[in-house]
Amino acid sequence: MLKVGVIGLGRMGKLHFLNAMRIAGVHVTGVADKSETNLKVAKKLSVKTYYDYKDLINKEKLDAVVISLPNHLKRLGITHAVENNLDVFVDKPLGRNVAETKDIVHEVETQGTQLMVGVNYRHIDSVQKLKSDLEEGKIGDVVLSTAELIMDGPFSHSITPRPVPEWWLSKETAGGGALLDLGYHLIDIFHWMFGDVQPICCTLAFRFGLPVEDNATVIVRSRKTSTRGVVNAGWFSRMIFPNFNFRVNLHGTFGYECTDQFAPKNLYLHSVKEGTFNFLRKIAGKEIHHLSYTYYYASFYKVLKLFFEAVNKGLDVPVSLEGQVETVNAIENAYKQHEAAAYA
Amino acid sequence: MKLLLMHRVVLTSVGNKDFAAEDIQRTVSKAIDLIKPNFEKAATVVIKPNLSYYWDYSTGETTDPRVVSAIIDYVRSNVSSDVRIVVAEADASAMKTKYAFKMLGYENLSRQKKVDLINLSEGNVVNKEVYVKNEKLTLAVNKLLLDADMIINVPKLKYSRTVGVTCALKNMFGAISTPRKFVYHENKTLFNVIIGINKIIKSDLILVDGIIALGDYPRKMGLVISGEDPLATDLVAARIMGYDPSEINYLKLGQEEEGTFQVNLLEDGVKLSEVRRNFPKQNFLLQKISWRLQLSMLRTYARVVGDTVPPILDESRD
Repeated sequence: MLKVGVIGLGRMGKLHFLNAMRIAGVHVTGVADKSETNLKVAKKLSVKTYYDYKDLINKEKLDAVVISLPNHLKRLGITHAVENNLDVFVDKPLGRNVAETKDIVHEVETQGTQLMVGVNYRHIDSVQKLKSDLEEGKIGDVVLSTAELIMDGPFSHSITPRPVPEWWLSKETAGGGALLDLGYHLIDIFHWMFGDVQPICCTLAFRFGLPVEDNATVIVRSRKTSTRGVVNAGWFSRMIFPNFNFRVNLHGTFGYECTDQFAPKNLYLHSVKEGTFNFLRKIAGKEIHHLSYTYYYASFYKVLKLFFEAVNKGLDVPVSLEGQVETVNAIENAYKQHEAAAYA
Repeated sequence: MKLLLMHRVVLTSVGNKDFAAEDIQRTVSKAIDLIKPNFEKAATVVIKPNLSYYWDYSTGETTDPRVVSAIIDYVRSNVSSDVRIVVAEADASAMKTKYAFKMLGYENLSRQKKVDLINLSEGNVVNKEVYVKNEKLTLAVNKLLLDADMIINVPKLKYSRTVGVTCALKNMFGAISTPRKFVYHENKTLFNVIIGINKIIKSDLILVDGIIALGDYPRKMGLVISGEDPLATDLVAARIMGYDPSEINYLKLGQEEEGTFQVNLLEDGVKLSEVRRNFPKQNFLLQKISWRLQLSMLRTYARVVGDTVPPILDESRD
């Protein structure tokens, strides 16, 4: 049984915690968060709670940690975990910039532990379908790929309204805006599908007047396949779940595919269907498909499960750190281009 | 013989769907002229827009800064260039005023027009007592609002799931200094609090930004509604949105508290019957019950099957 701690119980951390509690072979022995309110979810499930993650790591004999901290606190958390010989699962982005990302990778490699970035969008069913069709050659060579993820980002409303955590709105603490937050997934998907990602050009926009961009368009290419990619990311759209403005289009020499073709047309019907199937699976004694009724959130469960499976079996985690450095590099390049244009 | 109190409300239209700044300015100016407010002793004017969250006027959520800009220009050129003008808003449960001012274009407006931006949740805040339906309420109010010579209430015309119509009276609810006003939504006092805060803070002039209104989605209506009384203005706004004002709880309560008056509606080149639209007619209580039922079914499903409810749907449990 893998002994796991969860560091940071914000919205994503809570989801990882609840998912980890459901994964076979994993025992969540403790969690850490500075907020008493955030710790309630763990207390209800009788999991030990700490205000300081150093105490969690020192007092519990852990094998791995899930880190879900604000971007500016992530590096310290990862460093402390790997110094204590723990394998780490962490939310994207791995770092706020290339230098920080490389430093993290260097520390992990020096300590010889495993680190996996939770790039969950790869594990959305419709994206998996595109990837498998691409590998089968179903649409020929992909010449052009376009991807978009435009939603409300940190401005999404929860059921109980709370202010947006301020770290999101500063370049220093967040590292960037919509591009680093949402564009990261799209660039990661491009890298994963085509083997590498090289930045070509970008435009950033600041409709909200914040120090971080609220929308961005980036053009990238793959040296390996010569595929060009256009990535559009934005935080500017007021959107209410289950609306989900995400798609990847692959334009190949033998046709075209889009994630929309393989995503549920009606999420409510999908939920009822998946919920019923899970109920039947439960009765039949089979493993249920966690969070499949939400479609989108199932990807968080899948990516976390892959991490624990790899750690449990002593295998390499399925997300390369080199790829994550390339993704951050493409984003940093976009920021540099924007700054250069602003000063020109 | 007792004279029946009469409140003027003026309905004006920007006239096209481009909504250029100069068209908005002309319309706002006319809307004020037709109301003929008394600016005589106005040394300090406080403008209270609706900045309930970070979505800008194009979504129908918040007041267009160009409407506020037009009001500032009007005051400067028709009253005096020396008038101190303050644009004020209070923090809300999910909104921080300092970001709303920045993100919604009010910081730029403040620089261009040299007006102050004030967060009503900060500074000199006092507790004021008020009675509504014989119930005593204590509400936190910034002294700025109590000391102002004139308060110009600039709400957005929009639909709200909780109260139906969100316009002038509800905009002043947003002026309560307490950030977590969400607590009022959770109990039965919401309607009383809306009426109560309007008893404490009197709006002298109302200019409703109905240029892009919000129903289930934004609607380009091109309207500016001006009024000298918030309740009278809201009664007209409710009719424009296709509601029967007697079915809007806090409007009914407001009428009970304010007593009998007559609305004198002036339709300036635009008729209420022509601009009237059907905004959503949903019962908040039914919606709430329906959501609670769905959530409870979801929790039962998760417990029986061993699945998870994403925290974003279930945060109320904390």
